[in-house]
Amino acid sequence: MIYVVAALPWEARPIVERHKLKRDDGCKFFPLFKGNGMYLIVSGIGKMASAIATTYLLAGVNTDQGVAIVNIGVCGAASQKHSIGTPVLIHRIVDYETGREYYPDILLEHPFVEGSIATHNRLVRQKDVDSGQIQLCADFVDMEASGFFQAASKFLSPHQIYIIKIIGDYLEADNFDKSEIVGLITEAMDKIDGFLEQIEIYCKPNEPIFSDDELGQLEDIKKRLRLTVTQGHQLVELARRYKLRAGKPLPDLSDIVVEEVKIKAEGRKAFERIKRILTDE
Amino acid sequence: MRESKGYSLMNKFSHIYVEQKALSHPVTGYILERFPRAVKVEIQHYKDVFNRPHQDYRRQKDSPKLILAVKQEPFLYQGPEVCEDFGNDDFYYASCVLNCLYDCDYCYLQGLYNSANIVVFVNIGDFFEAVGKCLEYGSLYLCISYDTDLLALEGIVPYASKWIEFAGRKQNLTIELRTKSANYGAIRGLKPVEQVVLAWSVSPQEVARRYERQVPPLETRLLAAKAAAEDGWQVRLCFEPVLRIKNWQKIYADFVDNVFATIPADGIFDANIGIFRMNKEQFKRISRSRLDTDIFAQSMMHSDKGVMSYAEDGQMKDFMYRQLARYLPEEKIYV
Repeated sequence: MIYVVAALPWEARPIVERHKLKRDDGCKFFPLFKGNGMYLIVSGIGKMASAIATTYLLAGVNTDQGVAIVNIGVCGAASQKHSIGTPVLIHRIVDYETGREYYPDILLEHPFVEGSIATHNRLVRQKDVDSGQIQLCADFVDMEASGFFQAASKFLSPHQIYIIKIIGDYLEADNFDKSEIVGLITEAMDKIDGFLEQIEIYCKPNEPIFSDDELGQLEDIKKRLRLTVTQGHQLVELARRYKLRAGKPLPDLSDIVVEEVKIKAEGRKAFERIKRILTDE
Repeated sequence: MRESKGYSLMNKFSHIYVEQKALSHPVTGYILERFPRAVKVEIQHYKDVFNRPHQDYRRQKDSPKLILAVKQEPFLYQGPEVCEDFGNDDFYYASCVLNCLYDCDYCYLQGLYNSANIVVFVNIGDFFEAVGKCLEYGSLYLCISYDTDLLALEGIVPYASKWIEFAGRKQNLTIELRTKSANYGAIRGLKPVEQVVLAWSVSPQEVARRYERQVPPLETRLLAAKAAAEDGWQVRLCFEPVLRIKNWQKIYADFVDNVFATIPADGIFDANIGIFRMNKEQFKRISRSRLDTDIFAQSMMHSDKGVMSYAEDGQMKDFMYRQLARYLPEEKIYV
């Protein structure tokens, strides 16, 4: 599953349209869109807003189930080295106000320019830089990346968190033309989509160690033998080790666990037999 | 670029993170020159990258990065009890590099560090200075390749040769350079020095194939060790970690025969036997995350000192000792 955080509706629109995402009216707090292996949330402007929306997206997610999150939006460029509309993959994030730095893992090949970004509390303009009010400390500037990254890294590994920014201006804009932003992001969508496909495959979890049948069998044993929570954990751990050692499915234990035990002592006795079987291999 | 399963991985060391303090250091310049296409990312402190929370060690092994940093004191650490001191009271180790190029299933580094990225401390001179000061108070037995494999990294940063040259100028210093590399050619031009022991870790081919990813095969390691012994180096063979695999007695007995059929026993300085063992906390941490190896699924016990090993540890040591004793005199075997 890919989660996308965009600050503004017009940054979200090209992604929503490309992936035919549908608005989730059940979400009262943010514009939330979903469909076809993707969730997209529109956070609003600023690092706090981005952090809140990111947390909202990830807090209920089972992060073991192959998840990645991407912040997509426009940024300002400190130099004119790259043209307007160039998509950039961020490898270093500086929170301008706190000075803290954050680093996503860049493990996959990608079609983007790479660079660092400084997240500011307010819009950065060249005249503020020229007057010395603001010191540039990264290749690009925005208002969300550090909040997004801090929140996402509470839930995910650094290889599951990505920031893709499209250069929108060279720090000269006071107001952004919405249709221009839509155009810039739309232009970059082929590259972005190709990369998202790779991320989705790469972040898929490894094969689970137990099959559904085996999980059912273990749950059944716990119930029938009236195992305590600790014994239940022991059983799962022994079964896990058995499978890694033996490299084959769990043995059939049905003749030991015929029916639900009446007294706990019977359960303990049967559990001891199971332990012996699972450790003997 | 390596393609597999619908995604393409970045090459090893596609990114080099450089501490601001390390930027102007000559070793930094040397390494960056070797990777002209790497993306250089300036960082404030190596721990900002190396110690990030929730890093996935296995995924990072897919495409490890280099981190160049300046080490602060201490430069030397007391040798840990679980490691063989080879009869030296003044046993220390130094870690001028953290993490390894290789990817062995049984390696403790995956439980020791949060990250699979490799940290190179560029201020090697400060390590030498610390050793020099230590030598003012007596002799020193120093292991320089514990948390890494310096010889394997020699093509990236020539620290093995720097240590050897340094040791050659010192009295009362013995350094052990432990390796699984076959990269002996990288130091072959150096004159053997009696202050240096070149130590090759060796495992049976069955173990190497199954558990030692990206490590040179046993045969090439043995040939490297043999060449070093013939050139006059003191060569140590480290039979560790001995693993209790199926038919381990037969496999390890044949293996010892194979080793000494390749390297004449009289060319060996000494040897040690180490049964698989690991700090309990590291063991727990690794076993939770490794679902692709049976190493941590074996039945083990922990000692009072919190070290995990097989219940048959003593029996395995005795067995290995008997095998080695067929070739080496008692005083050359450390258990």
